[in-house]
Amino acid sequence: MSTTERSSVVPGYLRPAPATSLGLPAWGWTVVILVAALVAVDIAARFFASPLDIVPVSDMFFTALRLLTDTDFLVDALGRTLGIIVVAFVLSSVTGVAAAYVLWRFELWDRAFQPYLNVYYAVPTFALYPIMVVLFGAGVAPIAILSTIFAFGVVALNARTGFNAVSPIVTKLGTTLMLSRWQYFRSILLPYALPNIVTGLKLGLSYAIISVLASEFILSTQGLGHFISIAYDSFDIADMYAGILVVAAIALIATFGISAALNRFDWRRR
Amino acid sequence: MATLPPTIAAPAVAPRRRGVHTARRVVPPLVVAVLAVVIWWVSAVVADSLIFPTPLEAMRSLVADLGNPDFRANVLDSLRILVLAFLGSTIVGSLLGLALGLTPFWARTVVPIFYAINSIPKIVLYPIFLSFLGIGELSRAGFAFYAAFIPMFLVAVESTASVQRIHLKMAASLQVSWPRLVRQIVVPSVLPSLATGMRMTFGLAFLGLLLAEMFSASSGIGYELLRNVSLIRMENIMGTVVLILVMALPPTMALQWLENRVTSKYGG
Repeated sequence: MSTTERSSVVPGYLRPAPATSLGLPAWGWTVVILVAALVAVDIAARFFASPLDIVPVSDMFFTALRLLTDTDFLVDALGRTLGIIVVAFVLSSVTGVAAAYVLWRFELWDRAFQPYLNVYYAVPTFALYPIMVVLFGAGVAPIAILSTIFAFGVVALNARTGFNAVSPIVTKLGTTLMLSRWQYFRSILLPYALPNIVTGLKLGLSYAIISVLASEFILSTQGLGHFISIAYDSFDIADMYAGILVVAAIALIATFGISAALNRFDWRRR
Repeated sequence: MATLPPTIAAPAVAPRRRGVHTARRVVPPLVVAVLAVVIWWVSAVVADSLIFPTPLEAMRSLVADLGNPDFRANVLDSLRILVLAFLGSTIVGSLLGLALGLTPFWARTVVPIFYAINSIPKIVLYPIFLSFLGIGELSRAGFAFYAAFIPMFLVAVESTASVQRIHLKMAASLQVSWPRLVRQIVVPSVLPSLATGMRMTFGLAFLGLLLAEMFSASSGIGYELLRNVSLIRMENIMGTVVLILVMALPPTMALQWLENRVTSKYGG
């Protein structure tokens, strides 16, 4: 041991991470681990586990492909769920940024609401879902409202951080130039807060997705979440896993898609 | 309330000024809380609906519920599972994250997979927990653990991987041994992030547990909520929501306090 350690004066924790390990770069190992995990699941499903628990990965994949060509599934489950997600995302983005602006503009409001914003996600919002269902029925409305509320907090929190991050010197510059309120918002406040707003919007989308699927999963009669839960209830395990696969694909595409789209507005990354 | 910026909290002024200060800090949120209750009350009276209760009715039904031993057992049941799952995810997540974060190459390899897994809405994976752990406490606890574990793990990896290089260089120049490096440099520098992670994941564990109980359980708070939905007992639902609020806030405030303490002791 001592000979190998003496060979370099610099201890291991200071040396930069190697570009490759055993001839493979990091992303190569990522692929290897993923494929190994899928193969392990496939083998376990084929030979060891009960067919009521899990189906082979290839079966999941082909069932998912079959579902994606099924018009009923596309319209009733997938389309409906995506629609609610988009509505909740847009509503929570607009209201979240607007609320953050109000908090930034009026200090008293900020003092009044900031403590609640801080504990926003400590309280499980889904506890409210039963109330929504009783009030608005089991349709689209309660899911859209609840998901908007759920995604609102993270958008507002991040936008507020962004508005408050404007450096005082820039504000002074704005005063010197005698900018109108709108000009100040347009050319200083918004651009300055944009990276934080972008972070908030990215999180907001994933919160909206989580919330819509969870609501559909528990108490809805339609949608992608309901599709999975009904498949589970009726022991249709292949459909269940296919639905989970579709949800995973949507979540990944949405997450990476919005990151790619919004990161262009994030001037701190350039 | 504990997150006031230090510039406001720091100056030790005369007691009377400080009293004014506290009032400025505490009164507005209290007004908001009172207003919220008033709005609830007025809208309940105006709506005059059979299913929409006033705060008084909701509290009354909560008190009645709490007098019922079955309900109390359900609440305690959820509480026990929540505490176990939260502590488990904190400990396992921190330790695994620390271990992985210390080897940057493997962190870069494994972390993308966990970010991808984290972006999948967790609740749709719950049937898998049910399939393998069976319907009952184990799957509920497992799901609450999972909901909090992945974020905690990611926080631990990221913070371990971003220990300041200057501190590592100092350790190297002092020829500090590997275990001592971990104990005296890595752990203190990741503690603030871990405290933040704990505060975040507590809410996630509670949410996960409630969702699991709402989907399929024969006990727990989520089960009580859902049972009341099918009976359209709105005042009981409202009362239970208030109870959940009361259960969630003290731990969050305690974790917030812990986070502030740890950050001021070890942070930046």
